[in-house]
Amino acid sequence: MVSPEMQKLAEERAARMKAANELKEPDRVPFSGLGGDIIAAYAGISSYEYNFDFEKNRQAIIKWNTDFPADSPQGGVGGLDNLSLSVAFVDFPDLANSIFMLNGPMNDVLDMKFARFPGRQLDEYSSPQFIGGKNMEPEEYDELIADPQKFAYEKILPRISNNLQDMSSPKALATMARLGMVKAQQAAELMKTGQALAELGFPSGGGFGFGFAPLDYIGDHLRDLPNVVLDIRKYPDKVKAATRSILEVLFKLAMQNQHADTIMFPLHLNEYLSPKLYNEFYWPTLKEFILRLAENGKKSSLFCEGWHDPHLETFLELPAGWGRAMFEKTDVRKAKKILQGHTVIQGGIDVGVVISGTPAKIDEYMKALLGDMMPGGGYICGPNVGNLPRETPIENVAAVYEAIEKYGKY
Amino acid sequence: MREQLLKSFVDMDEQEAVKIARELVETDGGAVAVLDTCKEAMEEVGRLFEAGEYFLSELIAAGDMFNQIMEFTLPKLQGEEVASLGTMVLGTVQGDVHNIGKDIFKVMAEASGINVIDIGIDVPHEKFVEAIKEHKPELVGMCCLITLGVDSMKRTIEVIKEAGLRDDIKIIIGGGRVSQAVMEHVGADAWADDAARGVRLSKELLGKE
Ligand code: B12
Repeated sequence: MVSPEMQKLAEERAARMKAANELKEPDRVPFSGLGGDIIAAYAGISSYEYNFDFEKNRQAIIKWNTDFPADSPQGGVGGLDNLSLSVAFVDFPDLANSIFMLNGPMNDVLDMKFARFPGRQLDEYSSPQFIGGKNMEPEEYDELIADPQKFAYEKILPRISNNLQDMSSPKALATMARLGMVKAQQAAELMKTGQALAELGFPSGGGFGFGFAPLDYIGDHLRDLPNVVLDIRKYPDKVKAATRSILEVLFKLAMQNQHADTIMFPLHLNEYLSPKLYNEFYWPTLKEFILRLAENGKKSSLFCEGWHDPHLETFLELPAGWGRAMFEKTDVRKAKKILQGHTVIQGGIDVGVVISGTPAKIDEYMKALLGDMMPGGGYICGPNVGNLPRETPIENVAAVYEAIEKYGKY
Repeated sequence: MREQLLKSFVDMDEQEAVKIARELVETDGGAVAVLDTCKEAMEEVGRLFEAGEYFLSELIAAGDMFNQIMEFTLPKLQGEEVASLGTMVLGTVQGDVHNIGKDIFKVMAEASGINVIDIGIDVPHEKFVEAIKEHKPELVGMCCLITLGVDSMKRTIEVIKEAGLRDDIKIIIGGGRVSQAVMEHVGADAWADDAARGVRLSKELLGKE
């Protein structure tokens, strides 16, 4: 049961996020929270236990979010991007959306070549790793363009999964059936975790789904990043045509997620591309994706990995209030100068400072950050990278939360 | 022809650059001319990158062009004196599998005349030690893009010290997670988070330039 007190807290948190998302000033700066590998370490369990034992996972998440509560809950059943599988099954929405994030027990069933999990291919204290790879040859662009779903099903799955090598074999059918069983068990566990978080005063609903820049699908899952950069010069028309076909599939996938009011996009090739290439091969289909989501009442949230400075102005081509941008190496102060009143900005806490600073230094850092970023609203405070390593000093984590209360009031 | 090669290479006109290089390499003394010109072009590309005019897309394309041209140029250099500035053992540290940046740096370092021994990604500490014993490099380059890799670099350097090899080499670190503070923390001699600067500093560590 959610107590009235916690119910009120959840409403406050939701209102805070909502105000920032509407580019306004809330009562206090919304804080997305710190988390990552540190959550398991704080509970005294290994990364292996955190990723494979859902009861221990839940206890760790409850402990962390009780002691370090932010405006959105932290932690989950760490997943790796499994997009090719979702693309292959995009015509089956209930399935496609639930298999998008590959967690440990799912990978025990699928045995994906791009994935490594703690206690399996890695030691018990490592975090899960997506190691990528090249799964497509340039001669195959025409097949991809003609039908990305068919291409994923017939060509990519056999190349990325050791258990789906022959999709018509009993082994492959058994693998998909087993995946369903694992997912059903997990759904029950995740319900319990969700309930526990609601009891801690975290708003339920307002879920998020995933979207990808179509060119990133080619880079992350099909050709590998450096190859796609070369393909752009060698086969520009094919690459462009492929991003258009992929957009249709990825948009369909994002729209199927009915509970999601925000679609999150991790951007990868942004840092690689010159503004000229970005504006010709990357941005057009990403922009169209965002605009179509907006027409359908969904906001977008872009995680601009790496250095995004040369592309900041392109956001201004979107209507004000389209969504938010989170930054890694780009200075949020610089982004604010360009995007204030137009795009919600998230980030600003350099995790390097949290890992290697001292509470006094962090207090000073946070005071300066909030002083610069809060005025005018439309800012969500949070880390520049989602994962704090196990060794992060806990007093440094506490210093960040204290600073939010101390300097974050409007 | 050298001028044209230089220009088409720096302008990223791959077809033209490869075509000219193929012709030039067949002329008398052509192989050395191709090599020198491509090195000069890579240096110019690096300069444009540092100046913010070129991006990773151009570094990757330039590296690809350089490799393509070297494939048919190097066999023709057999017997020629090719000056080497020194040897570097290069790898991405244990726990980290990112290789794109390392590979870009490698091509640029090679183009500058450094002999690079690439020992791959997710390289165990001991493998660095073995490679140092085997190749006797003047320089060791470590690449690291994830936070976890920082401690891995520190540990690798400790293991190199324990093996009594630290004083024989200079260590330069690179990749997205490095900084002055990280360099001091792990005990390296130099750091660079862009390839052009990395090559410059490597040459300095070798006492060249
Ligand atoms: C591409 C990429 C990947 C690809 C890697 C493909 C490959 N074959 O390399 C894939 C998809 C496989 C991947 C996987 C993962 N990634 Co990754 N990845 C990136 C991304 C988008 C770009 C990295 C890159 O190539 N940059 C471009 C290169 C050219 O830059 P660079 O390496 O710094 O190199 C330059 C210089 O540093 C220098 N240089 C490079 N090496 C050297 C060496 C020396 C000696 C010198 C002098 C110079 C030098 O020259 C280069 C050119 O100027 C970054 C985000 C970002 N944009 O930075 C995340 C990022 C690095 N990844 C990240 C993470 C967390 C991961 C994963 C752990 C995710 C996961 N949970 O599975 C796994 C890693 C698994 C592992 N154990 O390593 C995080 C790291 C966060 C952190 N602080 O720890 C980042 C920052 C993304 C993020 N914001 O969260 N990733």
